[in-house]
Amino acid sequence: MIYDVTHVTSYEYELPVASADFMLHLTPHEGNGQHVIKTRIEIDPPAMDMQARQDFFGNRTTVLKISRPHQALDIRTVSRIEVERPQVPAAALTRPWETVARDALNAPSLGPQSPVHFLYASRLAYLSTPATQFARASFAPGRPILEAGIELMTRIRDEFRYVPGTTAISTPLDQVFEQRSGVCQDFAHLMIAGLRGLGLSAAYVSGYIRTIPPRGRPRLQGADASHAWVSLWCGAEFGWIGLDPTNALLIGDDHVEVAIGRDYSDVSPVKGVFIGSGRDSLSVSVDVAPVTA
Amino acid sequence: MADELLSPVRTPQRAQAWTQSYAPLPGIPDEFIGPDGTPRAYWRGFLDALGQFDQDDLDQRLATAERRIREGGVSYRIQGETNEQSWPLSGLPLLISQAEWNEISAGVVQRAQLLDRIIADLYGDGRLVRDGALPAAVVAGSPEFLRPLAGAKPFGGRWLQFYAADIGRGPDGRWWVLGDRTQAPSGAGYALANRLVTSQAFPGLYRDMNVQRLAPFFRAFRDGLAHAAERSDPRICLLTPGAFSQTYFEQAYLARYLGFLLVEGADLVYADGKMHVRTIAGLKRADVIWRRIDAEWCDPLELNGASRLGVPGMVEAIRQGKVSMANMPGAGLLEARAFQAFMPGLARHLLGEDLRLPNIATWWCGQERQRGEVLEQLDHLSISGAFANQLPGFDGRHSALVSELSPAERERLVEAMTARGMDYVGQEVVRLSTTPAWETSGDRARLVPRPFVLRVFAAATPDGWQVLPGGFCRVSDRSDARAVSMDASVRSADVWVLSDKPVEMETLLPSGDDVRIIRLLGNLPSRAADNLYWFGRYLERVEAILRIVRALVAKALDPDAPTRVDHGPAERLQRLLVSWDAAPRVVASSLSLDMAQSALHDENNYGSALSNTIAARRAASSIRERLSPDVWLLVGRLENILRKPLGQSAVEAGVLEQSEQALQVIAAIAGFVNENMNRVAGWNFLDMGRRIERSINTLRFVSQFAGDDADLELLDVLLDLIDSQITYRSRYLTGATLAPVRDMAMLDAFNPRSVAFQAGRIEEHLAGLPSLRETGMLEQPRQIALKLKGDLAVEDARRLNSQAIYDYENRLVALAIAVADRYFLHDASEPSPGKVRGLA
Repeated sequence: MIYDVTHVTSYEYELPVASADFMLHLTPHEGNGQHVIKTRIEIDPPAMDMQARQDFFGNRTTVLKISRPHQALDIRTVSRIEVERPQVPAAALTRPWETVARDALNAPSLGPQSPVHFLYASRLAYLSTPATQFARASFAPGRPILEAGIELMTRIRDEFRYVPGTTAISTPLDQVFEQRSGVCQDFAHLMIAGLRGLGLSAAYVSGYIRTIPPRGRPRLQGADASHAWVSLWCGAEFGWIGLDPTNALLIGDDHVEVAIGRDYSDVSPVKGVFIGSGRDSLSVSVDVAPVTA
Repeated sequence: MADELLSPVRTPQRAQAWTQSYAPLPGIPDEFIGPDGTPRAYWRGFLDALGQFDQDDLDQRLATAERRIREGGVSYRIQGETNEQSWPLSGLPLLISQAEWNEISAGVVQRAQLLDRIIADLYGDGRLVRDGALPAAVVAGSPEFLRPLAGAKPFGGRWLQFYAADIGRGPDGRWWVLGDRTQAPSGAGYALANRLVTSQAFPGLYRDMNVQRLAPFFRAFRDGLAHAAERSDPRICLLTPGAFSQTYFEQAYLARYLGFLLVEGADLVYADGKMHVRTIAGLKRADVIWRRIDAEWCDPLELNGASRLGVPGMVEAIRQGKVSMANMPGAGLLEARAFQAFMPGLARHLLGEDLRLPNIATWWCGQERQRGEVLEQLDHLSISGAFANQLPGFDGRHSALVSELSPAERERLVEAMTARGMDYVGQEVVRLSTTPAWETSGDRARLVPRPFVLRVFAAATPDGWQVLPGGFCRVSDRSDARAVSMDASVRSADVWVLSDKPVEMETLLPSGDDVRIIRLLGNLPSRAADNLYWFGRYLERVEAILRIVRALVAKALDPDAPTRVDHGPAERLQRLLVSWDAAPRVVASSLSLDMAQSALHDENNYGSALSNTIAARRAASSIRERLSPDVWLLVGRLENILRKPLGQSAVEAGVLEQSEQALQVIAAIAGFVNENMNRVAGWNFLDMGRRIERSINTLRFVSQFAGDDADLELLDVLLDLIDSQITYRSRYLTGATLAPVRDMAMLDAFNPRSVAFQAGRIEEHLAGLPSLRETGMLEQPRQIALKLKGDLAVEDARRLNSQAIYDYENRLVALAIAVADRYFLHDASEPSPGKVRGLA
């Protein structure tokens, strides 16, 4: 499947802003079943200084500085990506989750893919007793890890309502749990927290999901904005497997990955600091269109 | 006082009495009484010498030391409190013999070397993990393993530049490392302050005991930082979280002592791959940053995005090798307790040596075997977070002695350790040795054994690691020697390392430690200029309010005052106070006294004398390293005077007296500033702030009392307000008339309160500041000031009218704006509280 992804982030400032610094996680990464055919970022007003590099986890980042006064800012990313992911293994074939947890802890590597980075509480996916207890219900002793993971993902989709606007990035997990509603970031953080509470290694993935569903299938949630889901380490033989708790889907060719981190704060698409005094307002639009050959 | 202390008994009896009543805790080593049950020789010598003082003298010396600590502003902030606390000083130093110190010192040097190599490996080659010497999960678990720093190469190669170890003497009599401080160790400044005070309290004793000096260490530390920089003669900055930091005093003190530039994140900027300080002379390279903010907050782009303390781009400048950091961000990861479990093995692996100072036996429960061992001997251990300061799952607790847990808590802990063992460590419970402290019960002062922790500092220098011979000692007020945590009820003690031979005099001053090594003030940071300027303006505003209050009360007191109500002097004075938000509203002139009080004391009026004083103190608190302690003390005194409420029954005389007192303190501050402050840019800004504020205020006074409708009575008030009554009378035989009064208030360049006089000073200040223009063209503030000065010089008082006076006021306001635009930071995302408040 080939997609054209357009992601536009617009800031408007009440008062002119003297200068602004940004770090972007907007360029999709290469590999893991996807190939980036072309991608570019346009900034208006133009940036003085723009540098692309890779972060620790191998994500492609862009750092830029705008040092002229401005009152509005557009960051537009346009990418064409080909997605063809390998078949997900049969869940029953994966090993018991306790064994996988032990292997994750004992992984002898600090490399970017190593499960050790995703075992611990992080800034937004901290350990939470309710989340752990919720997760534990799916993880009976000896159960194959992917089977249990899929059940947990499905229970989140079934028991939580997708309601945009009721939460923010800063909403504590416990509150999300209490109100039983939220958006994709909340569900991803919640699932990650539960998995880590059990000693498993789980990562946060930011990306997109196709806007218009294939004929005869329902439109998916989270299509008009950045999407987020979970990647679960399923042992050395199967590695990382993506699970989308918002839609109760295994990650396949409908998803485009942008970046992987411990939680949202590692991969937030646009992270910025500006010097100015007024309020700012932000709007984001995302379009993911299949390219018909 | 105890009988034996009151009597004129001299040594050795008094020392003997102290010794006899001293009882070490059973089974716990003591610094005073050696393992053989007899006092150590150096302690005996010390107490004998102390016994020479009679008790009154001794008490007085200790009280003086306490007062010096308090008045010197040696303080810290307790979390959650806005006021600073003085650091309580123990009356007795901790004594350590040279031989013992040599062992400690060698052990700390070994450890510093070891830690530096471990950090460099973890962010670099990663061999320790590959070779299996360290589990990857121990590294990944530390929140201070900062992934953006992976692969960075510090300029000069050192990840650790300044290191501290918390040590204590264990039950076996050896010194043990209780914890490593590799992030941004605090306490060296307190050690320095304690030394200054203690050595001044007992100068003879200090000399005779051959106490090792601290100054050489700090010089070496400074050399080490300079050596680590890319350029020779580097600019070294101490990066502080700001005046609300718990240890801000210490940071300002050290910056002042070492001649470093004290900067906040907003003072720094990343450009062209390098770090710079924003100064009044433009951007100046920052070569070395000694950071006192935690690494996570250093860079909001690459690290914690919520940080407003750091600088976007700092991590990139580090990667470019263009700024030297002490310590490198990320070095803090070794503070995690989990690493303690691996130190003995890592020492053998990397250095081929055993640790010279053992650390507390530690088991990381992320390894099944180690966890098994911990669970087996659980009741004899202390359980803590492997990476966090808190014990995970037990909110608000640092650690748990398992033997003291309830059965339910114990069960919960075991369950948590089974689910996520990697979050926990088990540690041997160490009972710390004790050192003598004074205990006063009723009139009796006696020596009692108290547990302590000693923080030892080491610095990387061109000649290798050097250790501060002394340190920061915290003595518990309780005798429970298991209480490793010493947060509550601690005093700090000076630490005397006793040399075997006489100590060389390092400096000319007897205490040896209060010498400023170098003054590298360099260019004034814009933020400091801003705060100095506003300090000047707030103080001047306080003075203006005090003068108005004085005039208002005097009017109320005057039995001959005409009873005209409308637009009379009382109403006009009131209007001025209201326009400055010093009082809420104009009231009947019979209530002037109430209003005067409100304008002085009421913190709810954000323009009251008290509110402006608090604002002045706030501005001063973030530039403490630039103000003398005397000035700081006087600002505190001014606040105390204005905080004293006079109560309902206050009479006019009371209010007058209070205003007079406050005016005297302000005069004293001005005196200190003028007589003692170096004539560098900082002084220019402070004085310029006063001058600008005073000229604006004077013009307001003139508008109110010498406008086109002025009469004799109003002019008279103006002469009072500008303190020119006597001069006027000696110059003019007639009563107050309009043109002469206007001339005196506005144009007379010989009158130090006239607007023309202020304009002259302001223009001089601006002329003395660096210019950003290479063409020789004047910058805007100077253009405005020159023109203003010239116009005032040629102005004729007889031609002035209300509109012209008002125009001058507007020109001064424009000058104030131009000064702010040119010299200060424009980071409105962090507005100084209280600055956006109607001050011109």
